Amino acid sequence: MDNRGRRRVWLVVAAMLFVVAAVLMFTGQGEAPAMETPKVEFPRRMRAPERARAERRRTQVLPVQVDAGTQERARPRDPVLAALPRGEGKTAVVIEANALRHSPIGELLLDCLMRDGGKRLEELRNLSGVDPLQDLDRLVITDDGMMLSGNFGNAKFKELLGERVSMDYGEGARVYEPGDMTVTRPDGSTARRRSEAAVATWNNELLVIGKSPDEVKAVVDRVEGRGPDEPPAISEGSTYGEMYGVLSVDQLARLLPKEQAELAERIRQVAQNVELHVDASGDVAMVAEVRGANGDEVTDLGKTLGAALSMARIKAQAEGEKDLAQLLDFARVQPDGTSFKLEMAVPLDVIQKRLAFCKEERSAAEAAER
Amino acid sequence: MKPVLGIAGYVLREAMSRKFILAFMVGITLVLTVVALSLRIEVVDGALAASRLFGEELRNSIRSVDVALRPVYQAAAFLVFYGGILFGIVACSDFAPSLMSPGRIEHLLALPIQRWHLLAGTFLGVMVLALGGTLYGTTGLVLIFGVKAGYWTAGPLIAGLLACVGFAAVYAVMLTAATLVRSAALCAASGFVFLVGGIIAGYRQQLTPFFEEGLGREAFRAVTLVLPRLSALAMAAGDIAASTPLEVHSLGMLLLGVLVFGFGALAVGFWRFEGKDY
Amino acid sequence: MTSQAPAIEVRGLRKTYHRAFRKGGTEALRGMDLTVPEGSAFGLIGPNGAGKTTFIKSILGIVQPTEGAIRVLGGSPEDPRIRARIGYLPERLHLPGTWTAPAFLATVTRLKGLPVDPAVNLRLLERVGLSDAVGRRIGGYSKGMRQRLGLAAALVGTPSLLVLDEPTDGIDPMGRMEVRRILQEEVRRGTTLFLNSHLLAETERVCDRVAILAGGRVVREGRLEDLARGGVRWLVRFAPGANTEALAAAGFLRGAAEGQYAVEAEDPAALNGALDRARAAGALMVELRRDGTDLESVLMGTVEAAA
Repeated sequence: MDNRGRRRVWLVVAAMLFVVAAVLMFTGQGEAPAMETPKVEFPRRMRAPERARAERRRTQVLPVQVDAGTQERARPRDPVLAALPRGEGKTAVVIEANALRHSPIGELLLDCLMRDGGKRLEELRNLSGVDPLQDLDRLVITDDGMMLSGNFGNAKFKELLGERVSMDYGEGARVYEPGDMTVTRPDGSTARRRSEAAVATWNNELLVIGKSPDEVKAVVDRVEGRGPDEPPAISEGSTYGEMYGVLSVDQLARLLPKEQAELAERIRQVAQNVELHVDASGDVAMVAEVRGANGDEVTDLGKTLGAALSMARIKAQAEGEKDLAQLLDFARVQPDGTSFKLEMAVPLDVIQKRLAFCKEERSAAEAAER
Repeated sequence: MKPVLGIAGYVLREAMSRKFILAFMVGITLVLTVVALSLRIEVVDGALAASRLFGEELRNSIRSVDVALRPVYQAAAFLVFYGGILFGIVACSDFAPSLMSPGRIEHLLALPIQRWHLLAGTFLGVMVLALGGTLYGTTGLVLIFGVKAGYWTAGPLIAGLLACVGFAAVYAVMLTAATLVRSAALCAASGFVFLVGGIIAGYRQQLTPFFEEGLGREAFRAVTLVLPRLSALAMAAGDIAASTPLEVHSLGMLLLGVLVFGFGALAVGFWRFEGKDY
Repeated sequence: MTSQAPAIEVRGLRKTYHRAFRKGGTEALRGMDLTVPEGSAFGLIGPNGAGKTTFIKSILGIVQPTEGAIRVLGGSPEDPRIRARIGYLPERLHLPGTWTAPAFLATVTRLKGLPVDPAVNLRLLERVGLSDAVGRRIGGYSKGMRQRLGLAAALVGTPSLLVLDEPTDGIDPMGRMEVRRILQEEVRRGTTLFLNSHLLAETERVCDRVAILAGGRVVREGRLEDLARGGVRWLVRFAPGANTEALAAAGFLRGAAEGQYAVEAEDPAALNGALDRARAAGALMVELRRDGTDLESVLMGTVEAAA
């Protein structure tokens, strides 16, 4: 081949290679917008909507005590916060049921709740007159019992608890002592059940369940401003996330699996209390702030926890548990003097995958009903 | 193939005799030594508990060492990718023009080798050089982090290899530019232009909306369709180094595409070189 | 001329250099015809800008002709197999300064597709007089040493055709003699030598055929003695005291120097007749030589005539 012919071949080859390269790069990179890498937002401080929410909840007007010379401690004006146990070392966890219900994870949980086509929910609604999806605002778990807040104007407390010994208490509360109650079954028949829990309702806003009438009365006292002056277990500034609260060290240690008994023991020794915040507005992210008296010991505990998480992640990776490994990817410990923050997260898509069966079963149940 | 290897050997031998290349190797070694001596990483059961650089404690959270080192590896990958290509452009810009200098090119062209062998050999020689430098630098980095953190990953090494493919495309353009005008400065300039073009091409999807609809946008799309998508490759290198999921659909195809672009540019160089008088 | 195929055969060779953004172009070669017989020592001479370097590059495939046909060693110079049989020394050979001579020769050997034999290359270096500088870097070589190394590189693989562009440039007189000896050895071995040198004396001493290139054309070509032949004029020097008149009568014309005379004789008989007449007049001859023309005069005369 002469030089001219050879040159022509090179030019044709070049053109062909450029076309092939363009096709390969186009296909290789893909033209769809780039996939966002999972980025989890951890609940570390109050955000504007949460601040507004806290402000809206300041509904309680407390009598102003005029006492010259003594500075009155600011009492919480949010009835739920006011009802919380007071002082150090107590456990109080608030679940923002309404916010959770309207979060992506809430939708998934609702699917799970409605797996039977919503029959049980309907039963509960008929029985109690309360629609948990509409009327429930917050659910509080404490060492002594449970509290529900929301709009209980339609609640059938009297029908449900009418047989028990009850009394009016304070300004707007009614306390029901433990006793029998009649439950109507879906087929119309009735059954009697014994409940050992004392219950108090307050202004159709709060439902307090406790071990004894005195305990629920103490809660009502706190709500109505007759409680101790100590600050509540959760301050208003800490009411961020879909779930938040403080856990006593014992409670936290009890949450750990048996294999981590040594770690649980160290937590008992070093930590004083743990503040917890869970954000479910997107991915589920948790921040736990562990406080202790001795800075070095707390830092050491942080390192141990970090190492435990790392080991768990390595184990998950080794065992091919991708979801768990991905979950632990976000886990970290941030030491800060006498406290450290433990951050963990579960990306939403992982939960979605895990709970996908709920949606399928709900759809199947609803179709069968139709 | 033998003449191509012969020319590659010639280029390599010439490169090894250059003080600049030696200075580069010494530079890499120094950087690696400084990092190795000044970085202290405390690892507790696979979790990065603390790290100190030049004795100063870095604010670090305690988390899995591989997760904690992700940003470091990602940064290292970007540094290796873009830094490597940039250095390659500067260091290798003179090879082709000097090979085509009067007194040398006549001698080479009078030898029993095809003209394209000469270009292909130069390309191969420079690539071997780039590969050598990359392997040296990235292996050092892997070793340092491996020994210090107890976490071994071939990520930076793979990132370096991807950078070599990116550099292959850029150097092919530089070689072709040298056949048009025998100037090291123009050769380097063409490399820079294609590096920037390659970065833009990788973000073409995101940049397209900035162009007015119509001819301008279509022209941008057409040009960036052909250019090597270097930034996409760099992102993939970062992802691999950090062991995070790849954003590109198929790295193999992207890699092959960039390489084929390089061969296309080289073919243009062959076309020009075959018809050039010296 | 031998009956074998010529080593170089060029017909109607034209080369026009075109420049970007410029109309027309520069015509370096304008229809050049030349035949270099195989086994000859051929010299190419001509003024600057005559197209000598372009011609040499054309027969090596470094420059592509605009028109015309080139055959070298029976094939096209674009064929690597043909180029494998050519040894070339460019005018300004660039050598890698940090390498040693054996390393450079080994690379050239390899690029010529030949097996590398260090002993052979060492002998080659000895032949060009570089045996003492084998271990030194080329960067430290003098211009003459570099030129010798270039010659050694051209001789790698015992080529059939040696194309040398100014081979003795920068070499001292002793070195030139050495190079000349090597080239003569090569020619005796049967290698065709194609030499371009501005040192016409060099060409004269080494080559048996010469082509004069001017304005991109071969204006004269032939055997050296044919080109340099002066005709029928002879120069004679007589011992002092010769009779000028008698000598004039015998046909001797007085020259510028003392005792210097010129005589015209068509053949040896006429020359000897004239000499007999001079001797009869008492003149004693001390020197006789043909009034020939040197290559420089031939070049000047040819170029002026062509202009």
